[in-house]
Parts: sequence; C-alpha cells; structure tokens
Amino acid sequence: MKELLIVSLAGIAVLAADVIKFRKAVLPIAVASLFSLIFFCIVDWGRNENPMDNNMLLFDNFALGFTAILTFISLCWFLITTEYFGNDARRTDLYALTLFSICGAVLMVSYTNLVMLFLGIEILSIPLYVLAASKKGDRLSNEAGFKYFFLGSLASAILLFGIAMVYGATGSFDLGIISTASTAMSSPTPLLNAGIVMIFAGFAFKVSAAPFHFWAPDVYQGSPTPVTAFMATVVKGAAFAAMFRLFSGTFGSFIETYGDVIAIISALTLIIANIVAAVQTNVKRLLAYSSISHAGFMLGAILSAQNGDPKILLYYILTYGIASLTSFIVLYHVSAYQQGAEDFNAFKGLVKRNPVLAGAMTLAVLSMAGIPPLSGFLAKYFVISSVLQSGYLWLVIIMILTSVVGAYYYLRIIIAMFTPLENSGRIVVSDFQKYLFLLLSLLMVGLFFAAAIPDWLY
Amino acid sequence: MELLPNITVNHYLGLSVLLFCLGAFGVLYKRNAIIMFMCVELMLNAVNLSLVAFSKMWGGTDAQVFVFFIMVVAAAEVAVGLAILMMLYRNQHTTDTDVLNKMKG
Amino acid sequence: MLTEYTFWFLSFLAVFSAFAVILSRNPVHSVLYLILTFFSIAGHYFLLNAQFLAAVHIIVYAGAIMVLFLYVVMMLNLNQAEPQRTSAWAKFLGAGAAGILMLVMIAVIRKAEQGTPAGLPVNAGTVENLGITLYRDFLLPFELASVLFLGAMVGAVYLSKKEIT
Repeated sequence: MKELLIVSLAGIAVLAADVIKFRKAVLPIAVASLFSLIFFCIVDWGRNENPMDNNMLLFDNFALGFTAILTFISLCWFLITTEYFGNDARRTDLYALTLFSICGAVLMVSYTNLVMLFLGIEILSIPLYVLAASKKGDRLSNEAGFKYFFLGSLASAILLFGIAMVYGATGSFDLGIISTASTAMSSPTPLLNAGIVMIFAGFAFKVSAAPFHFWAPDVYQGSPTPVTAFMATVVKGAAFAAMFRLFSGTFGSFIETYGDVIAIISALTLIIANIVAAVQTNVKRLLAYSSISHAGFMLGAILSAQNGDPKILLYYILTYGIASLTSFIVLYHVSAYQQGAEDFNAFKGLVKRNPVLAGAMTLAVLSMAGIPPLSGFLAKYFVISSVLQSGYLWLVIIMILTSVVGAYYYLRIIIAMFTPLENSGRIVVSDFQKYLFLLLSLLMVGLFFAAAIPDWLY
Repeated sequence: MELLPNITVNHYLGLSVLLFCLGAFGVLYKRNAIIMFMCVELMLNAVNLSLVAFSKMWGGTDAQVFVFFIMVVAAAEVAVGLAILMMLYRNQHTTDTDVLNKMKG
Repeated sequence: MLTEYTFWFLSFLAVFSAFAVILSRNPVHSVLYLILTFFSIAGHYFLLNAQFLAAVHIIVYAGAIMVLFLYVVMMLNLNQAEPQRTSAWAKFLGAGAAGILMLVMIAVIRKAEQGTPAGLPVNAGTVENLGITLYRDFLLPFELASVLFLGAMVGAVYLSKKEIT
C-alpha cells in the first residue's frame, strides 16, 4: 500500500514542482521516490502481509520482488535517459506520466482482484500511449502512439470480456474465490474456459506474443528510443508478472488444459520473431523483434512454473530488462549522434568512437543472445531446464534452435561495431552516464555469478 | 436461469456476444480511425451489458460497480485517444488508417 | 409478456443500430447510430434493475463521450462520406474473422450451464446499494481511478498544447 502511495504521490509532486517553477527538483523527486520504493520492498520482504483493502491488494513476496526489480529498472531508466529529456520544459510531464505508469505496474504485480488488474493495466497503458506519441512533430512517433493506443484499447476490450465471462462462471472478481470455485471443477466449464482464453488473448496482445505481436515492431520503432526502452523492459515485465499471478496462481489447476496452448504460442513467438529479426536492417526494429522473441521465453517460464514458483520469471525479467535497457539506450546515443540513423552503418566504428558504449552494447547483446559468462545465459538455461522438466521437449528444441538464429543477428550488431570507420567523431556521453553503463555491464556479469552460486537462487 | 420472464442469461450473453463481434468486425472493416475507435467503444458496451446481466444472475452489485470502472477507463481512454487522433490529423491531414504505413518490415 | 417484447425490441434496435454504425458511410451518421445503440443498452439496464447504472450510462456515454466524438468529427470536418478504399479482400477477412469469433462464442454460451444463484433483489441497482459496494468494498480502486484520470489529463494536455520553444 505504501509502495503505491509513494509512487503516485511522487507523480503528483513532480507536477507540483513544475507548477511552482522548481524544475530542478523533478528528477531528484522521481529518483528519491523510486529509491524509497526499493527500500520499502526490502524492509517488507518476508513479512507476508494479509490482503488489504477488502482483498484488493496483496504485497506478498511475489509482489515485493517484482516491484523491486521493476522499480530498479525504472530507476536505471530515469538516471540513464537524463540526456534525452535534458532541460526542456516538457520533461516534467513525461516524468509524471512515467511515474503514473510505474504506479500501474505496481498494481499489476500486487493485485488480488480482477478490478485491480484491469485498473493497473489501464494506469500503466494510458500514460504510455502519450509517451509513445510524445515526439509531437514526428510522424513515426504519431503513428506509434496511435497504433499502441488503438491495439491497447482493443486488447483491453478483449481482456474485459474475458473477465466478464470469468465473473459469469464464478460469481466473483476476487482471485481467491475464483481459485476456489475453479479448483472445485474437475475441468473448466465452457464459460470459464472462454473467459480464460479471452483473458489470455488480451494478455498476449499486451506482451506481444505471436499471433498478436504485429503492432509491436511498429510501436517500438516509432516511439522515442528511451520510451521504447521503458516499454520493452518495465511494461513487458509487469505484464508478465500479472500474467504469472493469474495463470500460475489462480488458474494454476488448469495448467494441463492450457499448457499446450501456451507452449504453441511460445513456439510461434520464438520462430516468427527470430526469423523476421534476422532480416532486419534497422537496429531498433531488430531489437523490437528480439524483445518479442524474449516474450516467447518468458511464456515458457509461465508454462513451466512449478507450484507457482516465480523465481525463474523474476530472474529472466531482471536480466533481460538490464540488457534490453542498455541496448536501447546505447542505440539512442548512437542514433542521436547521427541524425537519427538507426541502421547497422550507424554502429560502425563504435569501438573507437566510444569504447564504453561499445563495451556495454557488446555485453548487452551477448547477454540477450545467451552467451555463458553473462546473466542472459543463465536466465535462458533456467527456463529451458524447467520447460524440459514439464515435458515439452519439442519446445526446448525450438528454443535452442531459435537462440542460434538469435545469436546470428546479435553478432551482426557486434560485427558492425568492430568494423573500422574512417574520419568518425567521438560520441560524447557524460561521466555519470559512463559510470551507469559500467554499472549495468557489471550487473550483467555479476548476476551470472550471483545466480550460479547454488542454493541461493535454486 | 430466467432474468426476465422467458428471457434467460444466455439471451443476454448472446446479445452481448453479437454486439462484441459487430464491434470487432467494425474495427477490422473500417478505415476511418474515429469509426474504428467507436467500434472499440461498442465492444466495451457489449462487455458492460454482459456484466450487468451476470450481476443480476449472481445477485451481487460488484459487477455493476465494475461497469462504473469500465466507464471511467473508457472516458480516460477517449480523452487520450482523441488527443492522439487530433495530433495525427494535424500532421497528416487525414484519419484514414491506410496512410499509417511509414514503417515496414 | 410486455418485458419480453421490450427485450426483443431493444435487442433488435441495438443490433440494427450497431450494424448501421459500421455500414453508414458518413461518420456523423455513425456517431448518431452509436448513440442509439447506447440508448437501447440503457433500456436493457432498466430491464435488469440497474436503474442508476442506466442513468449514468446515458450521461457518460451519450452525454460526454459521444459528444466528444461528434465534436472531433465536426472539427476535423469529416462529415462528408469517406471514399471507400477498403479492398474486397480486407472486407472478407474482417467479416470472416469476426464471424468465426462469433460462431465460437455462440457455441460456448449454448453449452454454458445455467447459473443457480438467486436473482438480484429488485432494489439492488439503486444508488444506496451501489454506493455501499463502491465506497466500502471498492474504495481503493475508486481512489486509484483518480490516478488514472490525472494521468489521462496530463497526457491529453501534453499532446494538445503547443510546443514550448
């Protein structure tokens, strides 16, 4: 509850700071609120509070863990995008919108009532529609904002119809009551079945899983790059956490019924995203497809969650979030330096032009490709081994094969960076940013060793 | 069970499904962004109708309260959506979604 | 008997005007037909003892949201008939997809078992009962709706205001 209060009040405080012309305080307020959010998540850890506010929210370890990592990624996002937002007057609005969006993310990981899930999704999404369209003069950004808005509201409508049907079948919006009612059935009734399928379809839209992914590349490409980074990390993480809470927790007793469907969607996502990504020439679009392909892996984590254990998904979101954030922000610096060029040529000679950016990008793409001394490898390894335990050998084979395809296009970025380029100027980033990139790179390596130590994560 | 004389909850569900699918059809069929958006509103209303029917069936008011929240969210979405539409129109002087093809691949 | 006829009349009206929303070429007509749909849905709410909801529905949808739509349609001067550019293939695809969705869902609800619980007491849709539920059980979502509105408001203002240079 206080987690929610902190972040929504921070949003209001940011707006107030703008009103009294105290814009210098905007970023410190946001950063301080996110720091205190992480602090409270650590303090409350393991306390296992009771559901509060008439079973609306439950800040159990699941919610606290996901809140903490999503907040951490948002915190890095705030600190690392200062260059983009700079000192222009509109940044207060955008910061406030981002904070409201984080408020929605906190709701989405802590809900115990479908009303809160719906409100959380909307509080997360509505500011994001604006953020996607926030480059007002840019047609690509307009188009991205419109597509995101339109398909987002379509997805909400589908999700809502699912919620209505689940209510019709069980008579409650409360996850506990729904769970009791559905475990009482040996197999889901037709109405409940339809409801669950529609909720799943709504979520598939939100997380850009295969048959519903078509909007994602356009939106990711058209949005301003820092906003894309936010979408690909925090938003996707929150959506997966919400999905996990519903499909592994509440409807967990039907996992055999839906297992095959989730596996097929996961496989489709992996195949389509990786093959299309391999032929991209625009790096931003490539990263968008790579983000879709990671959604396939995270679906695998949901599919195979043994007794609702979210550790694998948590670790995946954290490692993927850090790597993805780094890659998008490096892309932002590179393309900002070259009049918005986002193709492979823009990356040429990056090693000479800015070794820190090149190093961070190399580690980030290697981590996303799943190369051993980086955390992305372990994340993929955990998912694959647990999917294997659930008995989906064919899905594991697809995961491994598509990872090979993935390695190909990730390597293309690295090769471009190491291709020498004549008469190129240096790309300048501030010292603070440099340290942040170093910190993120360190995390990508450090998380590998932290998780590789047995008995800690496993 | 009968909600009204001779009218069961399935009648209402059927009507709501019909309206929902009409909305979905409109979204796929129309090219004008504003009409597409109106079709999404139609879909939301179909959901509202089924919720009210279920509320009568289960004898609880919580579904009706949920309908309030859907209305709230619809209003917020309309505000933002129409703002985005206006901006789009200012920059490309049309609301035809066929022109939204700047990105391919 | 009368309520049964009312149900069929309102349903027919809703479906007919929903069709008209999609099929009319003039956006202003679409808006007006959508308002008609909303009125017939409000009629259904009355039949289902959700009187307060029916009133709110008319005020919010017909009174606020559709006026906003109409305003935008007028402001963008879209009230001429739009040129039909949809290809036959896209039309077929849209009809096919929506039709399949409908068939599947109709099949589902035909099989759906009838619920057993007791019906709603006649006065359940009154302001008093709804207020108790809203402000007691759903107080937190109610408060959070304000965050949603604040976000939407900031966003709409941000998108509409002139760029500060």
